[in-house]
Amino acid sequence: MARLIRTEKEVEGRFEEVWLVVEEDALDQWPAGPQAIVGRDATRKDALERVRGEAKYTADLQLPGMLHAAILRSPYAHARVNKIDLSKALAAPGVHAAVGPGDAKGLEDEAGYAGAAVAAVAADTLAHAQRALRAIEIEWEELEVVLDPEDAVKRELYTAEPTTYERGDFEQALADADVVVEGTYRTSVVLHNSMETHQSVCEWVGDTLNVYISTQYVWGVRSAMAEAFDLPADKVRVVCEYMGGGFGSKNDPGEYTFVGAELARRTGRPVRCALSRRDENTAAGNRNATIQKLIVGARSDGTICALGGEFVNAVGWTGWSAMTEGPLQMLYACENVRTVRYGAKINTPPMKAFRAPGFVEGTFGLECLIDELAAKLDVDPLELRRKNYASSNDGKPFSSKNLMECYELAQEQWDRRHEVRSRSTGTWKHGVGMASQIWFGGGGPPSYAWIRIGSDARAQVVTAMQDIGTGTRTAMAQIAAEELGFPLDRVEVSLGDTSRGPYATLSAGSSTTPSVGPAVRAAAADAKRQLIEIAAQRYHVEERILDIKDGNVVSADGNVNTAVEKLVEVLEDAQILGKGARGPNPTGMSVLTFGIHVVEVAVDVETGEIRVERVYAAHDVGRIINPLGARSQVEGGIIQGIGHTLSEVRLHDPESGRILTTTLDAYRMPTIADVPEIVCAFVDRPDEHLTNLGSKGLGEPPIVPIAAAIANAIRDATGADVHELPISREELLRALQSAKEKERRGAHAAV
Amino acid sequence: MELTRPSDVADLDGGIFVHGGTEVVPLVRDGILSGAKLVDVRRVVPRGVDDGVIGAGTTLAELEVDPQIPDALREACRLAASPQLRNMGSLGGNLLQATRCWYWRLKYPCRLHGGDRCHAREGEHREHAIFANDFCASAHPSDVATALLALDARIRTTRRELALFELYRVPDENDRDVVRLEPGELILEVHVPTVEASVYLKAMDRKKWSFPQVGVAAARVDGTVRIALAGVAPIPWLLDSPEALDAATPLPRTEWKVPVARALVARALATLG
Repeated sequence: MARLIRTEKEVEGRFEEVWLVVEEDALDQWPAGPQAIVGRDATRKDALERVRGEAKYTADLQLPGMLHAAILRSPYAHARVNKIDLSKALAAPGVHAAVGPGDAKGLEDEAGYAGAAVAAVAADTLAHAQRALRAIEIEWEELEVVLDPEDAVKRELYTAEPTTYERGDFEQALADADVVVEGTYRTSVVLHNSMETHQSVCEWVGDTLNVYISTQYVWGVRSAMAEAFDLPADKVRVVCEYMGGGFGSKNDPGEYTFVGAELARRTGRPVRCALSRRDENTAAGNRNATIQKLIVGARSDGTICALGGEFVNAVGWTGWSAMTEGPLQMLYACENVRTVRYGAKINTPPMKAFRAPGFVEGTFGLECLIDELAAKLDVDPLELRRKNYASSNDGKPFSSKNLMECYELAQEQWDRRHEVRSRSTGTWKHGVGMASQIWFGGGGPPSYAWIRIGSDARAQVVTAMQDIGTGTRTAMAQIAAEELGFPLDRVEVSLGDTSRGPYATLSAGSSTTPSVGPAVRAAAADAKRQLIEIAAQRYHVEERILDIKDGNVVSADGNVNTAVEKLVEVLEDAQILGKGARGPNPTGMSVLTFGIHVVEVAVDVETGEIRVERVYAAHDVGRIINPLGARSQVEGGIIQGIGHTLSEVRLHDPESGRILTTTLDAYRMPTIADVPEIVCAFVDRPDEHLTNLGSKGLGEPPIVPIAAAIANAIRDATGADVHELPISREELLRALQSAKEKERRGAHAAV
Repeated sequence: MELTRPSDVADLDGGIFVHGGTEVVPLVRDGILSGAKLVDVRRVVPRGVDDGVIGAGTTLAELEVDPQIPDALREACRLAASPQLRNMGSLGGNLLQATRCWYWRLKYPCRLHGGDRCHAREGEHREHAIFANDFCASAHPSDVATALLALDARIRTTRRELALFELYRVPDENDRDVVRLEPGELILEVHVPTVEASVYLKAMDRKKWSFPQVGVAAARVDGTVRIALAGVAPIPWLLDSPEALDAATPLPRTEWKVPVARALVARALATLG
């Protein structure tokens, strides 16, 4: 039965109260551990298409008569277009249309950052379009530029009002503390740099707008385009069957799609609008820089009694201010907490969600601070974390929390540190560090799935979700196959098309599997029920003793044992249609994911070279659907995190605000040579309160703790407290120098 | 743009020379190099190693596995760029590659582009120079040129023969170029003298595909050691002695390069024995 409920919806740590129509989740969870198909390694359903180059990405799409758009971007960090003349561009060879400020959403006459979209043209080729951009005449008025986030906060230039939080009596608790540690931590701007740049192809067919787009949210693009062009939503069709990464930066249509659709409308031709790699490094979103002033007070027995933090998110011209204080509020059982967070509005390109936004940055600061506290207290960092284990989240019980089991799993790795340290020789120092992970990832309603089974005994799961490259297509097939009792190769998944399936959630916030998975299972259960009804009639047995296992209909009394193919022969053109919906999340509970990373590093204290030699990761995300896919998520998160930790930084010119690192030789992501040995473990225990699967998402958790774990390993190896990401050679050498001076002062004081 | 493929030195007549294209193509695409004619010189420039003479058309990938050449050069080739780039990039082209200074690459009207200021000096310059950085703070990115400088190599062009150190010049008010080649002059060969021992060490931002933050080449001939540095000056930098690092003039955010250079120089000398 459909039920109307008032519930809290969470996406990327942002909460809102919403009315939701949900269907009851009537299925009991499967028992813990591997099932016939779920919980066992499955190679990707689309692996062959991908490696053969047959998978069609948006970048591969060529429509007849397609034009190419190029976007003119502001060279100024803050300026107004006083006058613009598109006539020469319109007259340029090959050009079919040109648009300026106000002509399409995303083209504005006030550019708030260098790289803001101002105008665009559509032409026969990209080269024609790019050349025509140079013919656009603009009279600019330069406006005041603010680039320093602390300066913005001083002047109260915010993207949103500051957020404050307090529990207990922070001041008093800090005054009563035996030990106090404080520090300022900084994280830099880093980029998603998806392999497939942001792009779409827009085409008008009659009064319908078709949008082919590399996106994490086909339904979000559908509603945004319908709103922008004043269309009924069902007159917009959004398609994304394969995509080359998003990491949070492709949740909305982006100005390139609004521009492309408008140019397509004006020309009556399909229009491709794709960001170049340089634009991708400039105007496709970023993980914003943060400044975190943190303080912790503890009793001499190691009980953390006060935690405080002042956080500045350097949001950019627009964007939202992520919950950087989240880990500090949620990870430890501390009664007295005070935080304030500012979202600084500055003239830099807007942030966009990036794989656990806020928590990646906040965990770096917090988990470094906790290790510095452990050093000051002279206690084992892992023991300190066990001692301050949180058993509820601000009074709310956890739907499930197995962080202690993660600590248990990691203990053996942690114990390696004595042996690892003993490898130090000459200028190379070895050490081991750890950090804990907390993040959301429970997903939520609504999401729907259908299943279609015909007389060929193959099941097609139909749901308009998108697989952003994480392998969720395969996970959905496994869930359906498991519930149906079909072999995995008899299940296909049709996805990524708003006109060919029911609504499914956005692929962000580690939510696809925990949101869509239960709906797929419910649809499969519905279809299986119908198959068994048919079998009962055909074989004259009671439904209650029938089951389907490995593609065979079997009865408990052994009288029926026949292939599903034989059963469904009778269908001919008839089809069995199953439907399922995602049920509600448990009320009054905190649904979170947990984990720990233990990292081994080697540091050359003379040259500042850092080698990450081994990463052990244990995560608690409920039931694991596909261990192979799960391991690959963990590896990807760790590798991406190593980039942010050691080598990646997007720089802008402090005077003009222009982005300086716009190519992949200047913006340095890790190469395969930078990837260490990675060992993964999962608690793999279903969350008994969460859906018919007990599964949470794993897209984001593995990137959360890696930076702090590396920084803590560096401290273990060298005694240096790094306080800044990336830990470049200069940051490491600075930290080493400062440790040396601290030691000298200490020795001096002792004398 | 017109593309020509001459097969004889005598047929060379202006234009932009291109060999592997790993540097010239991006510069043309970005409008930093412009002209009407692109001249593919692959049929003109010799390729291969013959004793101490290396054809300027030899790729870095060929050099990195060649047992005939000194360690410093081989190692400099191996540590440069990525395998794909080394498969295409030629020795001659590598010697002439331009700085990675982001201001220069983004066509800021800086001194190297003929303008009147160095944007890097007041701006972002963590990758920039610690020597000769008063006029222009750009850093020369060639590992290979630095190794050859330490090896005291000579080059033969279409017009003359000169020592490698004579090829480079620090840019100044009157001449913004960092090389002394005349228009239309093309490097044909590199002559590498025999040395007793040589070494190249490199500090990078990641393990592969990183230009030198600091590269150190050292070579010993007849008991005399020559040291050269990459990534520390607008040109490959000859260091008179390890103590010459005391005379470095780092910018606020290039100070870190000095201790790194010091450590690598000490290690290079220790390796030479």
